Amino acid sequence: MAAALTRYVGRILSRPTAPMGGVSVENGGVHVPWLTSVMTLRTSAPLSAEPKKKKKVDPRREQVMRERLKKKLKKLERVPPELIPIEDLITPTKCLDETRVRSAPRLSFDESESRALLLKEWGRYKHEQHLAEMQAIQLALKAQKEALDELKTESEELYQAALQPDPLMFPFSHEGPAYTPPKPNYEAPDGKYTDITKVYTQ
Amino acid sequence: MSQKKMAAPCARMASWPLLRYFSRFERTPIANSVFRPFSNSSLRRSNLRNKLAPETPRSPWTLMAAVCLQRPPVISADLSLVEQRFARLMQQMELEKSILSEHELRLLEDAERLRRKQADEDDDDDDDERKEQDIVLTQDLEDEWERKFKTFRPAPRTTDDADKDLSSSGRLLSDSLVLLAEQQVGSDKLWLLPQAQWRPGETLRHTAQRALASLGEPTIKANFLGQAPCGVYKYKLPKAARSDTSLGAKIFFFKAILTPDTPTNAEPNTALMWLSKRELQRFLKPAYMMKVERFILGP
Repeated sequence: MAAALTRYVGRILSRPTAPMGGVSVENGGVHVPWLTSVMTLRTSAPLSAEPKKKKKVDPRREQVMRERLKKKLKKLERVPPELIPIEDLITPTKCLDETRVRSAPRLSFDESESRALLLKEWGRYKHEQHLAEMQAIQLALKAQKEALDELKTESEELYQAALQPDPLMFPFSHEGPAYTPPKPNYEAPDGKYTDITKVYTQ
Repeated sequence: MSQKKMAAPCARMASWPLLRYFSRFERTPIANSVFRPFSNSSLRRSNLRNKLAPETPRSPWTLMAAVCLQRPPVISADLSLVEQRFARLMQQMELEKSILSEHELRLLEDAERLRRKQADEDDDDDDDERKEQDIVLTQDLEDEWERKFKTFRPAPRTTDDADKDLSSSGRLLSDSLVLLAEQQVGSDKLWLLPQAQWRPGETLRHTAQRALASLGEPTIKANFLGQAPCGVYKYKLPKAARSDTSLGAKIFFFKAILTPDTPTNAEPNTALMWLSKRELQRFLKPAYMMKVERFILGP
């Protein structure tokens, strides 16, 4: 097999070719200086394999593979991510336990009447409060509008300066009132706790 | 929304015309705000690029800025009668509609166990009984918690002594207070919101900040809310004092909130007062009060 190959190579090379730079003739008139080196080549397994596939097909195949993978990825991405459960909306099974039911109280007629009347009174009270608040807000807005109108007639530059937003105002935070005032020089005890909130990843 | 439906219809219908009457009342022109008699030429816009340059020709009104510094309430207000009754009703209703908690279940179990022991029912295992004696009763736990709670003494809500000192900012903890300063206006000393005259080259808010700083209290620190004034008060000088350049003054009010870190000073400053909205009437002039009370929100 190796000898046949070398003979084949030799036949190709023995076709008449121009002499190359005055090199001495060898091998019965064949003017191929590197043929000896070819003859001494040891043919190993890769050389004896089939001739390599042409370069065009490989990239095409790789491209096809890549497209297939991308399509699979797109299909996977199209699936909507699993929704994170809202723990507040799920009633824990402990609450549905029957042993926990409180005995329902029996209300007398007077009691239920007074409750209904109190609820109505409360509604009325809150309504009045709401109206008063809305009115107060309207008054304050009117006062501000009046002030801005006066300022405008007074000086245009000051008016424009007044309309500018204040960059230093935010971040603004204010703590609302508590039930008792803060104690001066009070040291709150350190509270240690382990955080057991469940963290979900989509 | 349901509360609105629950309001008695007759009360609502009675309140509507009342409201309309009151709104008509506040729309009538207030006696002191007089229309300005100067000509239209002063309304020409200034062409100068410099924003804060004074207008030419200068208007006859002196511009001043005042600061309405408020100390927001520190503790929640006391509940009114309706609110108290409603709070109690709500507590009761919520209790009735709830289910037993684990603590309550344990209490019931303990009570049941005690009852069984007292009735001397036959308990099969003596070991069990001994184990039960080692377990802490839930009632004991409750007593323990109660005891621990009592060891904490919160600061008192009502401070009658501090309330009387008008210049302390620690008075009337459940109301929002406004700062008043005694200032020289013309020939008299009046109690007003701290004010200062506008100088050319500064915005009105800077003037208000300067007014606050000029009071001489370095401990008072405030957050000013926005650049726009919240109210205006103008007054005309008496005819004798009027001239071409000064017809009167316009005072623009700016709102500010006292930062909570300010320590209550030990020495009372008699030139300053912290008053709630109700008490303002005693110290402010009526026309001034009418303009100021519009933007001070509160009871």
